[in-house]
Amino acid sequence: MHKALLLIVIPLLSYGFWLSDAFKGIAAGVSIFLFGMLSLEQGFKAFTGGVLERILQKTTDTAWKSFGFGFLSAALMQSSGLVSVITISFLSAGLLDLVAGIGIIFGSNLGTTTGAWLIAGLGLKVNIATYAMPLLVFGVLCVFQSGKQLKGIGYILTGLGFLLLGIHYMKESFEAFENTINLAEYAMPGVKGLLVYTAIGIIATIIMQSSHATMLLTITAVSVHQITYDNALALVIGANIGTTVTAIIASFGANIQGKRLAGSHLFINLFTGIFVLLFIKQFGIAVDIISANLGIAVSDNAMKLATFHSLFNLAGIVLFFPFINQQIILLERIFIEKRPAIFKPKYLDSSAMDFPETVVESVRLESIHLYENAIHIILRTFGLRKPDLQKNDSLKQLIERNNHPIEYDIDASYEKQIKGIYSAIIAFISRAGFTWEMTQSSKLSWLREANKHIVEAIKDTKHLQKNWTRFRASNNQTSINEYNKIAYQIVLHIQQIDNFRHEIESNELPLLSLDTLKATIKNDDMHMNRAIETLIREQKITPETGSSLINDAAYMRNIKKNLLKAAETLFLHTNTGSAKAEQQLTLNETEINDVVQTVDNQ
Amino acid sequence: MKIEKLLHKLQALFNTDKHKKRQHIEELRKILLKLKKKERRITRALQQIDDDNLSKHYQTELEIIRVQRKKGIEILQQLKERKKI
Repeated sequence: MHKALLLIVIPLLSYGFWLSDAFKGIAAGVSIFLFGMLSLEQGFKAFTGGVLERILQKTTDTAWKSFGFGFLSAALMQSSGLVSVITISFLSAGLLDLVAGIGIIFGSNLGTTTGAWLIAGLGLKVNIATYAMPLLVFGVLCVFQSGKQLKGIGYILTGLGFLLLGIHYMKESFEAFENTINLAEYAMPGVKGLLVYTAIGIIATIIMQSSHATMLLTITAVSVHQITYDNALALVIGANIGTTVTAIIASFGANIQGKRLAGSHLFINLFTGIFVLLFIKQFGIAVDIISANLGIAVSDNAMKLATFHSLFNLAGIVLFFPFINQQIILLERIFIEKRPAIFKPKYLDSSAMDFPETVVESVRLESIHLYENAIHIILRTFGLRKPDLQKNDSLKQLIERNNHPIEYDIDASYEKQIKGIYSAIIAFISRAGFTWEMTQSSKLSWLREANKHIVEAIKDTKHLQKNWTRFRASNNQTSINEYNKIAYQIVLHIQQIDNFRHEIESNELPLLSLDTLKATIKNDDMHMNRAIETLIREQKITPETGSSLINDAAYMRNIKKNLLKAAETLFLHTNTGSAKAEQQLTLNETEINDVVQTVDNQ
Repeated sequence: MKIEKLLHKLQALFNTDKHKKRQHIEELRKILLKLKKKERRITRALQQIDDDNLSKHYQTELEIIRVQRKKGIEILQQLKERKKI
């Protein structure tokens, strides 16, 4: 809640508490109920990160299956808000498509109506506080356990306990309220009443962030005749529209698919609301007929309200479920995916085509541009930026200090900073490749290879990022250290290539420095694998973590090798005076291996 | 002095092969000298480092330079011997 709003709400509530004990009871009931919802959410979150994802993938491959999943999960969690927030997060992560997402929303809309039945059918007729007590005791017992899942169960039980307790308090307080103030005096008949109470329902749900809480207030109030049945119907419509705000808020941090889903949720509930408002009389008659068939007494407005709630959401399903695909087309037109501003080539000018050497130099400069962008992406993956390489702080400490989760979208960055330039380079080379004498053609061929190495390095970084993010969020400090080591070695290698570039500029035997970089790659790889084997043997990491580390160490080696190969072609000019003499002193593969062995024995 | 320099240049012009060999030897000498300086610089830097990875990198660099210098000295000796013949 906004701080300024809080400054108004707190004095208002305090004044209300001073005025009426019953009002205090109602507010406490809503608070306990909302706290129960929070606890329930907390509990279900303990089961995300494995089980929930697996269930989701298996149960959402068709629109009807998604509908079933939405219905069951909302009925179980008693929160359509939580279901839509989870759905948005899965949609953003690419685990779901929009059809499945909308299917879930439809299902959760209907699933959430079970809450109204529970409140009206059980909450008002049975002394549910007696059920709340054992749930709270067992729940709190489980919350104090160390196991994550047991803790989760604890939160769910506590949440349910608080929900029931909240209902109980509200029921009691409304009964007391009945004796002091009669809200029914503020009843508004006709269209005006419908619109005003719909607006109140929307606002109340937005403030409480729970349509359940609004439903609870409405059903309890109508059961003790504090509001009229007609106004209560409007409040239910308002609650259904207001509940979409949870998804809208969640979509602010989501990608375009998440925004489309939130848009769909608002679209379905808003237009169902308008439709029901237009045909409110017919709906009233339908509720009476259904209630009579279900054996609900004509005077039992609470149960009739629960029936109306279900009928409302069923109407939404009948009206919009068959048109999911049309909805998606509409949503895609409204929420247009903004493609990131794509980096354009800087040096590829078609006027250079007439001069072979200029073409080679243009491609080389453009490839360096691509290399710089690739380095930016790799560094950002590990939470660093280019200026960090020049800082006096140890790179190792910089990486270790970054202990918060690093969310960096490599795919988006690839599309933005690499793909356009890479395609332009390839197109430029192909246009020029066949017309010249051999010298330039072979130079271009080397440059094409260098570009390929750059792209390979980014792809390997993407593979590595998955486990780097996963294991850094784990509790095992040893795996965190090993993944930090991998990141550090890659970043250090980038720094050493930078030094190599300076050596070229100052003519400090760059060709010979390459041997050191090649040997370092072999050395690091050997030590990394040896360290992983030791950690598995000493049971500091599981064999599964070990195998992930071995794979990722291979990605690390490939990233370094690819970057070095690209750097060699892009930065090294072999036509300097001493190049021939330098070349004589460079080491071959066997000599480098011997050096690695000697250093290892030291 | 000027005449001596002129003669030297003329000699180089008429005997390009010999001149190239001499130039090559000079280049190798310069490289070996640079490598020696680099070796000293890295040895000094190595003493001030407490990072394992960085120290391993410098050790590798030192060893690489050592092997490169050894290789260079051997080539230089061979070239000198050939020059004598």
